Amino acid sequence: MKDVALQLINLKKTINKKEIIKGISLQVNQGEVYGLIGPNGAGKTTTIRMIVGLMNMTDGDIKILGQSIRLNFSDSIRNVGAIVENPEFYPFMTGMQNLKHFAKMYDHLSEERIKEVVSLLGLEKVIHQKVKTYSLGMRQRLGIAQAILHKPKVLILDEPTNGLDPAGIREIREYIRKLADEEHVAVIISSHLLSEIELICDRIGIIQHGELISERMVDEPEVDENHHSKVIFDVKEFEQAQGIFNELQIPFEVDKHRLIAEMNREKIPSVIKMFVERDISIFGVTAVKASLEDQFLELTGGNVIE
Amino acid sequence: MSKFFRLIGNELFKIFIRKSTWVMFISLAALVIFGAFLTKTLNEMNTTYSDNWREELQEENEQFEKEIAGEDGEGFVVTYNGEKIAENNYYLENDIKPLNYGAWQFTLDNAGLVSVISLFTIIIGAGIISNEYNWGTLKLLLIRPVSRTTVLFSKFTSVFVFGLIMMIFLIVFSLLTGSIFFGFEGFNPKFVISTAEGFKHVPIISELLSSYGYKVVNLIMMTTLAFMISTIFRNSSLAIGVGIFLLMGGNIIVGILSRYDWVKYILFANIDLQQYKTGNVLVEGMTLGFSVTNLIVHFIAFLIISWLVFTKRDVVATGE
Repeated sequence: MKDVALQLINLKKTINKKEIIKGISLQVNQGEVYGLIGPNGAGKTTTIRMIVGLMNMTDGDIKILGQSIRLNFSDSIRNVGAIVENPEFYPFMTGMQNLKHFAKMYDHLSEERIKEVVSLLGLEKVIHQKVKTYSLGMRQRLGIAQAILHKPKVLILDEPTNGLDPAGIREIREYIRKLADEEHVAVIISSHLLSEIELICDRIGIIQHGELISERMVDEPEVDENHHSKVIFDVKEFEQAQGIFNELQIPFEVDKHRLIAEMNREKIPSVIKMFVERDISIFGVTAVKASLEDQFLELTGGNVIE
Repeated sequence: MSKFFRLIGNELFKIFIRKSTWVMFISLAALVIFGAFLTKTLNEMNTTYSDNWREELQEENEQFEKEIAGEDGEGFVVTYNGEKIAENNYYLENDIKPLNYGAWQFTLDNAGLVSVISLFTIIIGAGIISNEYNWGTLKLLLIRPVSRTTVLFSKFTSVFVFGLIMMIFLIVFSLLTGSIFFGFEGFNPKFVISTAEGFKHVPIISELLSSYGYKVVNLIMMTTLAFMISTIFRNSSLAIGVGIFLLMGGNIIVGILSRYDWVKYILFANIDLQQYKTGNVLVEGMTLGFSVTNLIVHFIAFLIISWLVFTKRDVVATGE
């Protein structure tokens, strides 16, 4: 399945002559979970609001299953389900009344489907209570329920696990994965919990100052020539090893009886070879995989994350 | 089209599930009952006529004339009694038995309560868009396969369906209350009214419809105005305030500006269409056609402005 579900084409947004989004192009395939991260004010929410039609785009286009939302809003948005910011409902209505209210805005949405979604999200017990009695976690579930009622092909989730307990987060994560894998739904998630994104997404895009500055697969190995990551060497002959690093001009730190070198992973085999040649006993070599958070902070210059 | 009706169903559901809406209906019912009590206790002078009504009318007339003789030829009593005598004579000349006060006439007297309905409809109209902003639910409403135009017009229509329901409630409840307090005059009773061309014997129902109808003009215009204001400013209090102020004070504005000739182009100068029935026109040369055109132009302008604002606006984060 490599069909494109969502496509942003040179998307731009100008508010009060200020360019908020400076031409974002990206595409998300069917069955793919795409994470959108970026610091505060980077333009994530604006981008999401444009995808669901809450904000008008200044230039460019957004296509859902090949249909432009600009030219054919109703037909394209039919395939989109979304939670934008906090899931807010009519507080004086029950969860079920809220779901039915939104279900009526689609054609042919059966009562059975509503029940199915309610049980899927484990809301049976509270669905006939007024939403004002709901906890944030319950509202979050109801938010997901309204987003998937009409079996959308593109699901947009803004902070989907906000306010959920760890067990709930895990459930939702599994459910989103299932939607992507089994029903080939394209999922776009924005989150401030980077570890979350790392666990759930296939691919991430980092937005900063209204631009998509980086896009990568989550489990992509470090291939960048210039990228240096931390490599921990646990060795017996401490001084000798330090000598070799100096010789090779590799920066390092000493941490008790271990050496932490900053180097490209491509060089690891040659360093080990050198250690062996000089009779240095190696107990272990660990390449520390930079977490997404490190990469993110590195890319965005340590900005506060939304 | 069926989707449009479903949307109206949604809107009415949201209106009627709230307690504040029921408070409106209960208040209106209370006013009707209160009015019935008042009429019952104060209007003991509303004589009931028996089969001997001809003699009763003559006795009344004699009584009225005595009272006139007691005055010095001027004043309220003279005018009032004079009118009463003329009316009584009309009954006698045309051999019509005066209709005793009952449910229909009570309902007709309650036409003034249409202003209360206007007030409630303004409140609903002012909230129907801005509440969605306040609840944060507008974004969930606009990400559906329904155009913003459809959302807007389904809401607008729902406001008037609400107004209509309240109007029907007022009429039915007044008839019921009236029947209990004063009795029921029959299904299509006729009564005598005083018009510019003298007395006429007409069916109450047609009088009822026209008298409610004239008041509905104000309801429609002020509610549409409040709807527009709340769509622009996303603030229901402002819209309610302006709507009610103009509902009550429109005449005052016209009064202040009445020395200018252009006052006739102002909306409020045209709202009272009854001026063409009584012949008491505000500015010389105004016609029914002129006023109706003026009203339609205002109505369409309010709607177009609401529509432009609502369909073009970016929906940004709540509280922004």
